[in-house]
Amino acid sequence: MAEKQLESTTRAAAFQKEWFGELRRRVFDERQPYALVQADVPFELFDLLDLPAVSNQWWSSLVAAKRQAPAFLDAMRADGIPEQLCRYCSLGLATTRYSRAGEAPWGGLPTPRLLCARLTCDCVHRVFSLWAEAFGAELFEIDHPGATELPPRWWELGRRRWRDLVEPHRLEFVAAALERLVEKLETISGRRLDRAALRARLERVNRQEEIFDEARKLIASAPATPVRMTEQIANVMATQWVRGTDWALAHAEHFRDEIARRVDEGVAAYANERRRLMWVGAGLWHDTDFYTAFEKSHGAVFVWSMYLAFGPDGYIRYGFDDPIEALASRTASFNEYLHNPPWAAEWIVEQARDHRIDAALVLHPRSLKPSATGRRFIEQALEEAGIPALPIEADVVDARAWDPAVTREAVRAFLDERVPR
Amino acid sequence: MATSAITELTAAFQEPFRALGRDAARDRDAVVISWPSVPVEIIRAAGLRAVVARSGAEPTPAADAVLEPDLFPSRLHQLVEAVLTGRLANVAAIVLPRTSDPDYKCFLYLRELVRRRVVGALPPVLLFDLLQSGGDEVARYDAARTRDLLATLARIAQRHLTDEDLRGASGAANTARAAARRLDALRRREPRLRGFEALPLLGAFWHLAPERYAVLAAAAAESIAARAPLTGLRTLFAGVPVDSNALHAAVESQGAIVVTEISPYGAETAGDDVDTASDPISAIAERYRTSSIDARTPIDALERRIERALPDVDAVVISLPRDDASFGWDYPRLRRLLERCSLPHAVLDGDPRRPIAASDLGRVAALVGASARPDASHG
Repeated sequence: MAEKQLESTTRAAAFQKEWFGELRRRVFDERQPYALVQADVPFELFDLLDLPAVSNQWWSSLVAAKRQAPAFLDAMRADGIPEQLCRYCSLGLATTRYSRAGEAPWGGLPTPRLLCARLTCDCVHRVFSLWAEAFGAELFEIDHPGATELPPRWWELGRRRWRDLVEPHRLEFVAAALERLVEKLETISGRRLDRAALRARLERVNRQEEIFDEARKLIASAPATPVRMTEQIANVMATQWVRGTDWALAHAEHFRDEIARRVDEGVAAYANERRRLMWVGAGLWHDTDFYTAFEKSHGAVFVWSMYLAFGPDGYIRYGFDDPIEALASRTASFNEYLHNPPWAAEWIVEQARDHRIDAALVLHPRSLKPSATGRRFIEQALEEAGIPALPIEADVVDARAWDPAVTREAVRAFLDERVPR
Repeated sequence: MATSAITELTAAFQEPFRALGRDAARDRDAVVISWPSVPVEIIRAAGLRAVVARSGAEPTPAADAVLEPDLFPSRLHQLVEAVLTGRLANVAAIVLPRTSDPDYKCFLYLRELVRRRVVGALPPVLLFDLLQSGGDEVARYDAARTRDLLATLARIAQRHLTDEDLRGASGAANTARAAARRLDALRRREPRLRGFEALPLLGAFWHLAPERYAVLAAAAAESIAARAPLTGLRTLFAGVPVDSNALHAAVESQGAIVVTEISPYGAETAGDDVDTASDPISAIAERYRTSSIDARTPIDALERRIERALPDVDAVVISLPRDDASFGWDYPRLRRLLERCSLPHAVLDGDPRRPIAASDLGRVAALVGASARPDASHG
């Protein structure tokens, strides 16, 4: 793994490990409840009702980064579950259901009081039902109504005109589901949700995302990228899982300030940057070295991934007369923003232009159905914008079919042929 | 009448989607749906007819260039191919239900193809946003979406519809469902027709006017009831719902008889009736929310349907092709259930619309061979 260039990255990793250790202590020693959730549910509600939430995707990425995924996935295959099914969403389930197959990080997940998932991809209901069954815990589902109106430039509408971004019937539906979730969390915690506290939290989330926006602009406008994409992700995601908390705000500021100092001092992540790359899709968690593999050979540096950019563009909502509705407007269309035509392609091209991107690598994760669709529209839009795009077929957590040498060679050939410098 | 009824039902299942694009005038009252979880009652109440896109072995080069591989089932490749080659230019509307993620994504793709002018003018492309999870807000939402679809179709058909029109359509469909149930009963304990023959007879329900379907199904049932019972391994199809009888043919060639399948084209065609005593829109929405068989049917609901079918079968064939994102998760639970019932099973991973792969055929042959009972009494 490439060396950490930012002190913020070391702090973020330490915080996450400490946070998880504290969670385990609370659950085991104090018998406190916690929730296991999909990444796209509103964490703020859980936190405000004293039910810490662990993200399934974060846990999967951690298992993959610790090189434990193959053992658990082999056990799942041996149980007869077909190989083509989603690995990213189900690796956590595998660590529970086949717990003896491998060594789960940091002692493994304790039994949650509640599991919660938005039913985006068809697999989510099934994976979470099996997981709830394996834990003997309760599952709360938030259904995912389909979008039919997708106005241009969603990332601009979302900030102040979010009621224009989501159809009224979808907004009403998701808000009703979130109110039902609040009732469930209140029952578990024995406390009432303080709506004023929710407004205050959402305002702090806005502030955090504004700071990330400043960080993004620093990265986009610097002569050479001051922070590697992998370190952007590590800092952003550690913060997003606890967004709006004191630690999150302080860490976002520290991260931004560290980037600003590096820009002021002319420090680049890679000194001889000659090509600026973007990564389209979820992170390749089992091989993060991939993202620095083309620096020496081609001066090719990954500048952009969705993780930093999506914070400000996907989360900021101004106007909290009804904070649940504001949350619903954020929640309703996550998948459409990131993966589906026309929204994903439009946003990614805009981001590529802002970041002076020379070429894009577009993940095709066949088993991860939501983010495997829309890829061709994205590639076509990038190419039409003059940005060469290379499809990369890979699973984000499953390294078993991944040949690092072959893929690296394909990328080198692509850079030589399509992005000459 | 009996032979012609069987012929007419079979043709009514096989032909309507293939026939689109041949006669513009004939196409104008067709509403193409991508899966039968769009209520035919409201299509018919609007004076239109449903045509369901089904999987097929015909090549789909134009669609293959748009749809990423292994993510979209064959029926959606066939639908997009028909769109891109202009065959659906004259239909009244195209409706995709939210009952699988590929259907929803296909809706977004079609809209994008229009926006990018990859295709010329298309008829209205609509999403029927039927949700299937629990929660009070879901039933309300589904009723509202059903009302919205009805209003859109009525506008397209230039009709004013009343609650009585809807109740009439629901009642007629229920009559057709009753006829489908009588036909389906002839497959069960002492089967008198093979699954290969049965699936089109049942699946024609979606395409035919209900009054006509009821008459034809009754005639077919009368004729089939007079046949001698068949012997063979009585088999259930589970896993990804089949929408053609190609897999039936392959499995039955090995000596099995497919007596039921968890599919809206076969044994689940009838499903539950629509309640005609309550608010007609809510009743239709509720019927489709709870009875539709698709990739988002809740795991417990699906398991209950399988459990209901097990007393009449000797073995189970589970189809889990590569484009499945959903049903494969049910396999460990299903395996445990079958073990509890001492029922053998085979898992097939080939594409059910193509000639069966040698490996899958071997699994079926092994299942039939291992389960062979010389006296096959089926009592």
